[in-house]
Amino acid sequence: MSGPLLDIRNIETYYGPVMAIRGVSLTVEEGEIVAVLGANGAGKTTLLKTASGALDCRKGQVIFEGNEIQCREPDWVARQGIAHVPEGREVFPLLTVTENLMMGAYCRTDREDIQKDLETVYGYFPALKELGSSLAAFLSGGQQQMLAIGRGFMSRPKLLLLDEPSLGLSPMLVSEIFETISRLNREQNISILLVEQNAHIALQVSSRGYVMEVGGMVMDDDSDKLLESEDIKEFYLGKKDEGARGLRRWKKKKTWR
Amino acid sequence: MTENTGHSSFLVDDCDTIPKLFLKKTAERGDKTAMREKDFGIWQSYTWADYRARAFEIAHGLLSLGLKPGDVVSIQSEDCKEWVFADIGIMLCGGIVNGVYPTYQPNQVAYTLMDSNCRFLFVEDEEQLDKYLDVEEELPNIEKVIVFDWRGLRGLKHDKVMPIERLYTLGQEYGRDNEGQVESIVQNGRPEDLALLIYTSGTTGMPKGSMIPQKYLVFQTTINVDFEQTESDQILTYLPLCHVAERVFSICLPLKSGCVINFAESPETVARDFQELSPTLVFAVPRVWEKFYSRVSTSMSEATWFGRTCYNLGLRAASARARKLLDGKTPGVVDELKYRLANALVFRNIKQLLGLDRAHYLATGAAPISTSLLEWYLILGLSITEVYGQTEVGVVTTTRPKPLRQGTVGEPIPGVDLKISEEGEILIRHPYQFDGYLNQPEKTRETIIDGWVHTGDVGEIDENGQLKITDRMKDIIITAGGKNVTPSLFENELKFSPYVSDAVVIGDQKKYLTCLVMIDKENVEHHAQMHSIPFTDYRSLCARPEVVELIGSELNKVNKKFSSVEQIKKFRLIDILLTAEDEELTPTMKLKRSYVSNKYNDLIEDMYRGPSR
Repeated sequence: MSGPLLDIRNIETYYGPVMAIRGVSLTVEEGEIVAVLGANGAGKTTLLKTASGALDCRKGQVIFEGNEIQCREPDWVARQGIAHVPEGREVFPLLTVTENLMMGAYCRTDREDIQKDLETVYGYFPALKELGSSLAAFLSGGQQQMLAIGRGFMSRPKLLLLDEPSLGLSPMLVSEIFETISRLNREQNISILLVEQNAHIALQVSSRGYVMEVGGMVMDDDSDKLLESEDIKEFYLGKKDEGARGLRRWKKKKTWR
Repeated sequence: MTENTGHSSFLVDDCDTIPKLFLKKTAERGDKTAMREKDFGIWQSYTWADYRARAFEIAHGLLSLGLKPGDVVSIQSEDCKEWVFADIGIMLCGGIVNGVYPTYQPNQVAYTLMDSNCRFLFVEDEEQLDKYLDVEEELPNIEKVIVFDWRGLRGLKHDKVMPIERLYTLGQEYGRDNEGQVESIVQNGRPEDLALLIYTSGTTGMPKGSMIPQKYLVFQTTINVDFEQTESDQILTYLPLCHVAERVFSICLPLKSGCVINFAESPETVARDFQELSPTLVFAVPRVWEKFYSRVSTSMSEATWFGRTCYNLGLRAASARARKLLDGKTPGVVDELKYRLANALVFRNIKQLLGLDRAHYLATGAAPISTSLLEWYLILGLSITEVYGQTEVGVVTTTRPKPLRQGTVGEPIPGVDLKISEEGEILIRHPYQFDGYLNQPEKTRETIIDGWVHTGDVGEIDENGQLKITDRMKDIIITAGGKNVTPSLFENELKFSPYVSDAVVIGDQKKYLTCLVMIDKENVEHHAQMHSIPFTDYRSLCARPEVVELIGSELNKVNKKFSSVEQIKKFRLIDILLTAEDEELTPTMKLKRSYVSNKYNDLIEDMYRGPSR
């Protein structure tokens, strides 16, 4: 295949009359981790939901492996090889860990492979193995996040959409989860589109990054270049020049260069 | 109201300086509204009495800090009421005002403060204060820095820095003990006294500080020849007050006529402020007029079939009237009726949308404007007055309403002598012009020769006695083929395209002409979105072949209007989104030709590689 794995072109998505994203384009190449950064309400989650079919866009195309998949049912999109790990985990609280993982494999029929993949998940997240029969509701936040990622993996996707995996986790757990994410990408050859507020870690694991603001893209570049950008440093990494007084409160204008 | 616009005298209402006029007018107007400013989103009014009281407090405050007549005081702020209070306050106690652009970088701030030997500095807020603090060591002559907005500075301990409230208090105390001092300073003021320093954006070398005497400002209150202004008029103040044009329109004219000035909330909200306020007097630079037009043409491309048809029909129906007006004839009854109809059905809504529905005096200046644009406004029923001037001489020519002569900058206002030199340069002489450049006697001698100010503009006087500007003298391009080309002509036609925000034509000593184009972000983004052209940021938008093609087709449209030597053979897009802080742009957002040609030399060289198409 020649084109990118996922090619989002000029999508516009509305919540009722409110335009949440206005013309966003983005690509994910095979085998790549791409990060999308942005503040609250920038439209990052909407972007993922539109990609996975949970929301319909009014304009634009979502092209996956050369086929248009926008505005299709989410279950159909999932069967094409896109797994969406939603923000805030969203595990099934009253199912056990194993049952939750098996929900990820709902569309699959190859029992043996499913068993193998289940073992793979336990390999990546040993904690989940010990908790196999406990209800998901009783898991800690970090364990739930592992479960949600594991569940996404169980559908054997080509592309994994991760919505803020670091949300509400301790710094220690965050680095653990991101370690696993990049292993999944390397070892299982899963391409990943990652939405994050934690710009620092997201830019470390990804090869390219996009920055969204109020529903549009304002910047895109290789991750190491983004890490060097003045605006990213000031607005996403919290490093700023404190000025002569050492107490700068005003914000400089964003130029996104 | 009596006014004296005669050649021999520069008295306005018997006053020969701005402070005298201020004392007289504020006493007369008292509790009438002088200005409005938004506070937490609500317009608050300030009366002429408030204006006077604040200006006095600042004058007294500065006197108590030891200001001597002739000292330079700088104001470094976006437009706001305190800017105006401080401006008049400084003049009341005999100081000289130096406006510093709030978009300046610290090193530029340091240069003007040093060159002007400034003693006191007013800054807007924390952000502007930090620029001073960055270069504090280089500026030992600054004695006090007064901050308009103290938010975020509560814990600051600095001997030289204080909030404006403190200055007000000092002023009140000083005023109680020294009653009548300011009045006597004002009464002793002479029209020849320096009022301002205006630094002009140096496209070559460092900025030069023009020395502006009081009589210059008094004279400038009379530039609106043929237009009556009253106390019920409203002005929106949104261009930098450091620039001579906004100062004349927002400080000088209201002093004489009593019209109300309204401060735009911020440079980003100007469009909304226009809509909300619908000012009756509008001064704008061509870029703003272009922006209004492109907003309308973009929303038309999005409109329903019905809406678009109505708009096009309206334009067609009303254009006959505009043509007649342009030809100096009186439009017939039928033309007038057609216009009225189109106005009632279509144009009125457009004007309301732009906030121009109440405007009865519209003026453009500070840069050349395309005639196609003026014609579009005229079709809508908005006749725009063109004024011409520069910092050194103020506004010196203006078009008159009857007969309308668009495409020219009109004729000299009473009191101004104008002639064209043998080289074609426009020369201006009047008794109220500037006194030369501060600390630059040789530059002054080059500019004022035998009393005539050499403007650096090339122009001609047409058969009707109207002045036509060709271009800046140093901008005229002589191609390798020896052909003289005036770049601004092409640039202005190109800027009429809603997709082009600014352009610089290049080709001096070259085989053919080329052009650097800055696209209009909003409209090109909109176009890309409508035509499913994927892009992410500004750079990627400029790199899209479809966008390059779009600009190319706009360029070709303009090319058709020019002869083959004057046509643009190649162009490149500037793929960095420039802001007012960038050195490529003047504070009024024009591209600086020489700066841009140096900075983008690689792009330019690239256009002269390989064959021309």
